[in-house]
Amino acid sequence: MKADLQKADPRGVLTGVHFMDGDHACCEGALAAGSRFAAGYPITPSTEVVERFAQRVPTVGGTFIQMEDELAASITLQGAVWGGAKAFTVTSGPGFSLMMEHIGYAAMTETPCVFVDVQRGGPSTGLPTLPAQADMMQAKWGSHGDYEIIALCPNSPQECFDLTIKAFNLAEEYRVPVMFMMDEVVGHMTEKVVIPPADQIEVVPRKHTHKSVEDYLPYGTNGDLVPEMAHAGEGYNFHVTGLTHDERGYPNMTLPTQDKLVRRLQNKILQAVDRIAMFEEEQIEGADVVVVSYGITSRVAQRAIEAARKKGLRVGKLRLITAWPFPEKKIRELAAQVKAFVVPELNLGQMVREVERSAAGQAKTFAVSHAGGGVHNPEDILKVIVEASR
Amino acid sequence: MAKGRVSIVVERCKACGFCVEFCPTHVLALSSAFNSKGYHPPHVVHPDKCSGCDLCGMYCPDFAIYATKVTPAGGGDK
Repeated sequence: MKADLQKADPRGVLTGVHFMDGDHACCEGALAAGSRFAAGYPITPSTEVVERFAQRVPTVGGTFIQMEDELAASITLQGAVWGGAKAFTVTSGPGFSLMMEHIGYAAMTETPCVFVDVQRGGPSTGLPTLPAQADMMQAKWGSHGDYEIIALCPNSPQECFDLTIKAFNLAEEYRVPVMFMMDEVVGHMTEKVVIPPADQIEVVPRKHTHKSVEDYLPYGTNGDLVPEMAHAGEGYNFHVTGLTHDERGYPNMTLPTQDKLVRRLQNKILQAVDRIAMFEEEQIEGADVVVVSYGITSRVAQRAIEAARKKGLRVGKLRLITAWPFPEKKIRELAAQVKAFVVPELNLGQMVREVERSAAGQAKTFAVSHAGGGVHNPEDILKVIVEASR
Repeated sequence: MAKGRVSIVVERCKACGFCVEFCPTHVLALSSAFNSKGYHPPHVVHPDKCSGCDLCGMYCPDFAIYATKVTPAGGGDK
């Protein structure tokens, strides 16, 4: 399965060198990726994404709807997708909680879409204006039932642009909801963002069926794991349902149908982990300790890593760009070579569990937790690196 | 021989036509009759084709239609 690539529609691409924050860069990424629909309910610190989208999208022929709440936003965008649009919604922790039901619906109905979560301190209303990375497990496990999603973690405004395009592309390629896991710092940090010309931006188009109305099976995969789509109004009348359904889309609540469907929903992602997983490595060769981090914490960790190297410690860096599916194989391979992993994150221990599980006892795992509301003091990370190197 | 039977709650209908459009066996059509709100509810034009799948019931935004399985012996609804 290899998606056909197209070039971005130049109308949505604000080519040039900009000085903008991560929220705005995310909006520009969505426009460049061809998104012409967003539904949202404003929430700090994510509002600027849709604020800009609402201003920009009418000029390129699209729609933004401010909904009555996050439930409405997260299902309206899926209506737009089935109507042919590339669509997304934007929220923060409390709204993300409300969207969980529809993330499961998107997974079950295989609706390609993007959920942007600019993470803030929680639980509940928590710290509206301050950062955290405590929704990472929720992104994977928040809705009920077995399903797989993709989650990306940008660590700069530039990546907010680049990876938003990637998020839309992955959503289309695998027909899954993609979680775009920003954090308040990345969202509100202003930096240089380079937006390339449209002909240098690759966009994955909708996997639309070429079959006739008579031959089309909405969830028929023909050996592939990702079915082809048809849109409302094209004559391919079928039922898009969250109920367990057969290849025709008909509700079919039998054991074999459930088994076949749910396993395929998992396998289409799990069998492609190596193609989906992105990470950045630095001085991994010969390292005693590898610092595993993502999002804004990776930039704080960088300082601690460099300080540790000055002390003569052999420290490698592994930055997760894809958090889900978790690059289990990569961690397992590294675990055989290193003494320990150090995992700083703005929560009380989430992705560290995945690292520990994947390491499977071959290397020690140290968490550097933080309750959120700020970023780590690099000293705190350094202390743990030193301890882990012993 | 029909395997199902459609029931229509005429007064709830707003004549959106979803049931007519999406019925896999084309059992329904909008009638020329009016309900008290002035809409044309559907009626059954091919009762023998109904499989009782209840897709009409799943689609209907107003719970104005549903289908039930009929036992082959004609013993009525399950």
